[in-house]
Amino acid sequence: MRRIILALIALAAATALACGGGGEKQAEQEKTPARKLNVYIWTNYLPDDVLADFEKRTGIDVTVDTYDSNEALLEKLQSGVADYDVVVPSDYMLRILVAEKLVLPLDKAKLKGFGNVDPRFLDQEFDPANGHSVPYLWGTTGLGYDRTKVTAPLDSWNALFDPRYKGRILMLDDPREAFGVVLKLMGRSINETDPAVLRQVAERLKAQKALVKTYNSSDFANLLAAGDVDISHGWNGELAEVVAKDPKRFAYVVPKEGSTLWIDSVAIPARAGHVEEAYAFLDFVLEPEVAARIVNGVHYAGANKAALDRVDAAIRNDPSIYPPEEVLDRCELIRDLGPATQLIDELWTEIKAQ
Amino acid sequence: MAGITTAVAVLLGTPAALALARLQFRGKRPTQALLYLPVIIPEVVLGAALVTFFGAVEMRLSLWTVVIAHVVFSVSYVAIVVRARLAGLDPALEEAARDLGAGPFETFRRVTLPLAAPGIAASALLVFTLSIDDYVVTSFVAGVGATTLPLHIYSMLKVGVTPEVNAVSTLLLAATVVLIVLAHGLMRSGTRPESRREEP
Repeated sequence: MRRIILALIALAAATALACGGGGEKQAEQEKTPARKLNVYIWTNYLPDDVLADFEKRTGIDVTVDTYDSNEALLEKLQSGVADYDVVVPSDYMLRILVAEKLVLPLDKAKLKGFGNVDPRFLDQEFDPANGHSVPYLWGTTGLGYDRTKVTAPLDSWNALFDPRYKGRILMLDDPREAFGVVLKLMGRSINETDPAVLRQVAERLKAQKALVKTYNSSDFANLLAAGDVDISHGWNGELAEVVAKDPKRFAYVVPKEGSTLWIDSVAIPARAGHVEEAYAFLDFVLEPEVAARIVNGVHYAGANKAALDRVDAAIRNDPSIYPPEEVLDRCELIRDLGPATQLIDELWTEIKAQ
Repeated sequence: MAGITTAVAVLLGTPAALALARLQFRGKRPTQALLYLPVIIPEVVLGAALVTFFGAVEMRLSLWTVVIAHVVFSVSYVAIVVRARLAGLDPALEEAARDLGAGPFETFRRVTLPLAAPGIAASALLVFTLSIDDYVVTSFVAGVGATTLPLHIYSMLKVGVTPEVNAVSTLLLAATVVLIVLAHGLMRSGTRPESRREEP
């Protein structure tokens, strides 16, 4: 019996430990101020001090939850019972949300700061005329590399086809990104749909396979950091972390041929319960000062043009975060290719199975 | 939150185990099979089914839906563990208590419950660990303000494995191991007196 009592004490202690963190939050919620806002956003996308300022200025009590994939967000909104008022889907997911009527059309008259957004990111195929969304942060696909091993200057996708780096190359395990590399090298759009061209691309990727150590899109940054590969095809967020930890050893570059671009936008779910507060939040993050602080806090490029001169020079001038204008001009969003998607998937399977 | 889950699951699971172990009733076999279901079916299916259910009954996702979902799979574990404990007990002990004039309630309180207690405590520890570690089901049914530790860790991974993730994971792992060892010890403790006597 004594043992049981001991175990129950251990259990109680563990419960107290587990609830300790949440207790404070709950106490805050019990005060129930009149205005609330529930934000559902990627991890590390909203600095704490920016959030605190918003709460102070507006008196709105904000709860922030985080998700780790666009699909998780879709699942929550589809359930119809998630009480979120602001979400931040990526480009392709926003198109799905708009098509399924899961996000509200925006009344841009309520957004004084809408004009601050860089027109480059407006009126994209995923949300024509920005009827439902405001661009928030964006980024690129590029190459992360180990400067101690890759001594020649690296600014082109050709490095991924260079026999000098045989067995030291990592490619994203993602057909659209891999095809995008070759298409950009051929001077074409990453959204090419001509079957003959796509077959040509597949041939080059098959020939490249001998040089590739692994295809991986979940762990690429860590493999680069651990020294398992010297050049890694990858997304800038993860690679930027590696570079930031050891900038003398690692670097990230968006190849001069151009690359793929992603844009995450803020939107209001169709079933939001605090629409007015959501508009207040959208307008707040559109303010140049606030947008600049977000970029300084999260180290992703912001879509707010008016904020650019307030962004820390180190970030603004970092080509891995803000690629040069002429490179950015050659970057494109991944689009839905319709029937060609199937061909690409088949060819990708062939390449991987070879 | 894992504590609430544990309490509710134990309160629901123990009577279920008792009924299954001691009583004969119509539909006993289907009930038994049903009880095993949450343990057997993939968590993804359970999570998706629960979120559809919450949607159908218009229940807003929150921390409470997480508790309900955790209770759903926890009850099964409690019932299974406690039932195994009860099956290992000698029914003669309860009969003896009744012979000596104890009513059904008194028999339960003074004989059955103390004997089953190690099983109940073990199942509580087990369920507590399951609840605190669960990612899949939780990720489906979590709502506003319900970013649990595993959900938080997982979403932190998007920006690479930071020392914070490592530290938090280590703590969670250590707590889990301690609880499981305790639960295992409890499940084995207090074996039947007769079997002890039979030992050489």
